[in-house]
Amino acid sequence: MIRDQVPASSGLLSRKLFGKQCQAASAGRAVDGGQYTSSYPREFKADSGESIYRRSVYTFWKRGMPPPQMTILNAPSREECIARRERTNTPLQALLLLNEVEYLKAARQLAVSVLGEGGSKPDALVDAIYETVTSQQLDDKGRAAFVQLFADLQSLYQKSPELAAELCGDVELPKAVSREDLAAATMLASTVYNLDITKTRQ
Amino acid sequence: MTDSMSNNRPMTDWELARRQFLKTSGMGLGAAVAGALLPQNSHARTAAATGQPAKAKRVIFLFMAGAPSQLDLFDYKPDLVNQFRKPLPPSVSMGQRVTAMTKGREQLVAPSKYKFEQHGKGGIWVCELLPHLAKVADDLCIVNSFSTNAINHDPGKTFVCTGAEVPGRASMGAWISYGLGSMNQDLPEFIVLNSAFWTGGTRNVQALYSRLWGSGPLPSKHQGVKFQTSGDPVLFLSNPKGIDERIRRRMLDTVGAVNRQHFQQIGDPEVETTIAQQEMAFRMQSSVPELTDVSGEPQHILDLYGPEVTKVGSFARNCLLARRMIERDVRFIQIFHRGWDHHTILPQQMPGQCFDIDQPCAALILDLKQRDLLDDTLIVLTGEFGRTTFCQGTLERDNYGRDHHPRCFSGFLAGGGIKGGMMYGQTDDFSYNVVADPVNVRDLHATMLHQLGIDHERLTFPFQGLDQSDRRSNRPKSSTKL
Repeated sequence: MIRDQVPASSGLLSRKLFGKQCQAASAGRAVDGGQYTSSYPREFKADSGESIYRRSVYTFWKRGMPPPQMTILNAPSREECIARRERTNTPLQALLLLNEVEYLKAARQLAVSVLGEGGSKPDALVDAIYETVTSQQLDDKGRAAFVQLFADLQSLYQKSPELAAELCGDVELPKAVSREDLAAATMLASTVYNLDITKTRQ
Repeated sequence: MTDSMSNNRPMTDWELARRQFLKTSGMGLGAAVAGALLPQNSHARTAAATGQPAKAKRVIFLFMAGAPSQLDLFDYKPDLVNQFRKPLPPSVSMGQRVTAMTKGREQLVAPSKYKFEQHGKGGIWVCELLPHLAKVADDLCIVNSFSTNAINHDPGKTFVCTGAEVPGRASMGAWISYGLGSMNQDLPEFIVLNSAFWTGGTRNVQALYSRLWGSGPLPSKHQGVKFQTSGDPVLFLSNPKGIDERIRRRMLDTVGAVNRQHFQQIGDPEVETTIAQQEMAFRMQSSVPELTDVSGEPQHILDLYGPEVTKVGSFARNCLLARRMIERDVRFIQIFHRGWDHHTILPQQMPGQCFDIDQPCAALILDLKQRDLLDDTLIVLTGEFGRTTFCQGTLERDNYGRDHHPRCFSGFLAGGGIKGGMMYGQTDDFSYNVVADPVNVRDLHATMLHQLGIDHERLTFPFQGLDQSDRRSNRPKSSTKL
């Protein structure tokens, strides 16, 4: 659910139904090559394009070596029946949500669409991102914290424009939006994605 | 509750807390019992203590996947030379079912071509392929009487790693992480290192699978963290492009502040865990690269581990990393080395395999010893089963192969309060059946837990209506003689 929620709320999720399963984009399985000498697939090659934004049910699954971004989030290994999934909370999960590139791209996509809709005023930007991701309204204290964060991120990225350029990649900037603003808004969205309120069902 | 909902006044903190409690413990009495497990580690520890001081605090488990031949490493049978190409007497095999690979074939005895010598004060027998381990003979307790119930690799490995042939049970490291908890703030409790290559050839190599370090029914935070053999050692460890440490820190400050505010509103302790784990993740971003960076190791230490230590992903490098983890108080480290499944042309593969492990294993023992860490670190080396005394494939004096053999196999224990310089257990003249001091895989597990100060019969976790224990049924015995 966490995995699908991110592309869904950012607008990246593919709505395509049925069809071939896809290899999730993942550093983990590709680099640990040589694991299998005889069974399919010998090498994991991540798909690209739309198929990596399909829902998790379409992700290719090899039972002996399941996709790490699923097992890190405590997906059952499919080797025994699970009536109820354990509640877990690990540093690896935190690393996944913070650093996995596709999650970050989703945050960037959300930032692009919110900025493109004219929400470049910090208050409106913060509200729009927070509401889109959490379906809740921010209180004043929370809003102040995020507005301050956005301002700080803007100044950090203005001091290191090369980082902003790296983060933006080849994304088309919305009108009248600088790279630094998009980078700061991306990190703002990523921050909201990493909140407990986002990743925990209350 | 309905009042506060209907008249639209905000709920008080007390009501919110009560609501949260009812939600999270919505399973009634069963969940309340499980709730007693919340401070799991201390609970399990006190409930399962042996009452004796623990001799070991940490474990390094060296798993030789594929099953090395006990006859060509530690279980010396000099008289077998006279049995060359003679049929194995049925009185020895007692009609044992063998694998499909040698079923119905003649069982002709294949003596080891390697020389054995006695080493150390204990005079333990070690094969000539392990010259470095022979030098630390006085630290080794060689067990020649291991036995298992499985005859094929998958159930065999699953049995050694989880105590059951059927998949789904928690692995050793997970149990120990559950039972004893963490000793450090910056690294996982249970780390798995896979050796990316080996010298003995790539015939008959089986895959490893995550269940071997899985947490089964235990909470998944106890599962092993498998380090990658290339790239980031831990998945998603590095900041992605466009984010540096200052930006990450600034972002996490807000994440933490908002989460804390959220915690004050709902009082769910899991929010606090989230905050702690995000901070742990941030610390791991520096602690893990520091751990795996061996550039500060002096040359004489690198030399100790042998030439392979310079290659990332080698067994030697993994042994060096294991020592660095032990220094940083990682509780359980499991290193896998593969390529030991020598059905045919064993002598072509055995020397390479032994080259891979001999010097690094000896170095690990010496290195821990010189840092006063060997006394409370238990080292265990074993495969999933042994190999047959009779030949599979071509049989010559210096060319033979061996099929799977569950009834006896060899390995060693060192450190962690284990008596060194001794051989434990005996097999018959053919290295076929155990005749004295048997150590079933479950007994090994019980022994390891005993050294860690845990009574294996009392380390349990409620699941599927039963108290799941680490080592079920058959009443395993910890071998206190070791």
